[in-house]
Amino acid sequence: MRIGKIAARAALALLLAFTVMPLLFMVTASLMSSREIMSMPYPWIPSSLHYENFVKAVRGNDGNFIYLRNILNSLIAATAVAASTVLLASSAGYGLAKFRFKGRMALFMLIMATMMIPFEAIMIPLYMVAMKLRIQNSHVGLILPFLVSAFGVFQMRQYLTTFPVEFLDAARVDGMGELGIFWRIVFPNCKPVIATLAVIAFRGQWDNLLWPLLVSQSDEMKTIPQYISTFVQERSTDQGALMAAALIASVPMLLMFMSLTRYFIGGSSVYESRKG
Amino acid sequence: MPRYSGIERKQARWGLIFVAPAMLFFAVFSYYPILNAFATSFFNKRALSKAPPRFIGLDNYLRLFSLKTAGNELSFYNSLRSTAIFTVGTFVPLLVLSLLAAALIASLDGKRAKRALQVAYYTPAVLSSVVAATIWMLIFDPRGLANQWLNGLLGLTGVDHLWLVDRSMEQLSTMIIYFWKYIGYFVILFITGLSSIPPTIYEAARIDGAGKLQVFGRITLPLLKPTVVMVSIMSMLQCLKTFSTQYMLYTNGAPRGPINVITFNIYVTGIQEQYLGRASAMSVVLFVVMLFFTWFQFRLSKADDVEY
Repeated sequence: MRIGKIAARAALALLLAFTVMPLLFMVTASLMSSREIMSMPYPWIPSSLHYENFVKAVRGNDGNFIYLRNILNSLIAATAVAASTVLLASSAGYGLAKFRFKGRMALFMLIMATMMIPFEAIMIPLYMVAMKLRIQNSHVGLILPFLVSAFGVFQMRQYLTTFPVEFLDAARVDGMGELGIFWRIVFPNCKPVIATLAVIAFRGQWDNLLWPLLVSQSDEMKTIPQYISTFVQERSTDQGALMAAALIASVPMLLMFMSLTRYFIGGSSVYESRKG
Repeated sequence: MPRYSGIERKQARWGLIFVAPAMLFFAVFSYYPILNAFATSFFNKRALSKAPPRFIGLDNYLRLFSLKTAGNELSFYNSLRSTAIFTVGTFVPLLVLSLLAAALIASLDGKRAKRALQVAYYTPAVLSSVVAATIWMLIFDPRGLANQWLNGLLGLTGVDHLWLVDRSMEQLSTMIIYFWKYIGYFVILFITGLSSIPPTIYEAARIDGAGKLQVFGRITLPLLKPTVVMVSIMSMLQCLKTFSTQYMLYTNGAPRGPINVITFNIYVTGIQEQYLGRASAMSVVLFVVMLFFTWFQFRLSKADDVEY
């Protein structure tokens, strides 16, 4: 083997160690006592399994198991956003791709232009809207600003542009209504894009800290990122429990990643088509 | 132009019906808020105050950019500076190293190894930013792995590198956390870009006797330019919006000044201190900055579209 090849492998292995070690640290530390975690050098293999870390993580600082509520909130918000994104984006993408009407291009450009408006720049006005609508501390409040994304509409439109019109016309001739065509012919035929969009939308909300910080200030309505950030503040010296809480927060995403890998990885490469 | 027949008119109506829900959403949750942010930025508005907001013209902006505040650690100037430092310090290494890693992965022979590496690199991106920050805060602990690794590397013993205490180290720490989370994501973007270059070009080059480095510099890089431009602007825009990492570090006792990025400043000013007008002015500045880079990307990618 030539030196170049060895160097290349060494570089890749180094990067691999860098990405994987912190993950291994989270998993192993979640089973250790704080004392063991903070011993030098870090032992990597737990001498005995401290499952109570997980109990502590779930019980929370006040012993009221609020974490379970918060996990449920995150699940509800992420699922709802994924569902509505898929539905609204495919409907709009279908309308823009397969119907001719005046102002179609203008509407499409208007929707695309919103990609340039970062959430961080409009969160203050959105916060004021949420206060006016009195939807703070509710699931509606968590979900409302994320119902659909311009990126989703774009993806669906691109995908449906190549959808054969003959299918649609045949269904029309058979007397199927337009809504029926959308729901029973178009929608089921978009599975790959839909799965990708759903994954992107779901993880976006699973990861969202900023908006819940604004609208969900009561403990029962907090989401996972908020719970963890508070738990870290309250229990900064209980490292085992912190890592257990972090691991619990990650398990659903890791499971999703393992079973839907291609939609995750494909999902990032869809951005390729966004250039220009 | 022929007049619309009945069927065509019906079609047009259905098209609008399908687009309407999404359009309505964007009107209320994108266009209204950004216009509102512009408008609010000209007022002195407090969230909980009963008094009506007072029109103060450009005062909010003048205050943000007043040179008197430049020395203040929590000033907007400082936010611009910390955002710029974080963005450049994160996206340049991300770009260079992910491109390098992608090229190296592409040069591997085993299909399985390629796939496994991609998945492994990508896994941190699956975790939420808050979890990433939590893991790394323990690693950056004085007794944590970061000190152990760095001391081992430098042959030192027992030196604390003050990862979350020292001002520059704290900035470096946020960059490392962010880099860790997103490296795999960008590796995959580049692998996708690389795989769209037809292999026949490489074969031709090899037959002509080009060396590996030559091929990379003369063929791969130029052909990959659109992807490089796209990924660099995308990662830049993403870095400009960073929030969670900084929030986590600050709420756990790290000093705020060095990591008081724009979004964090908006959050503190608007939500905690309830100065909605001033926070809106910051939002408008953030919006304009990002708009500029988006436009820049548009220009660049239009200028050099590659045809194979």
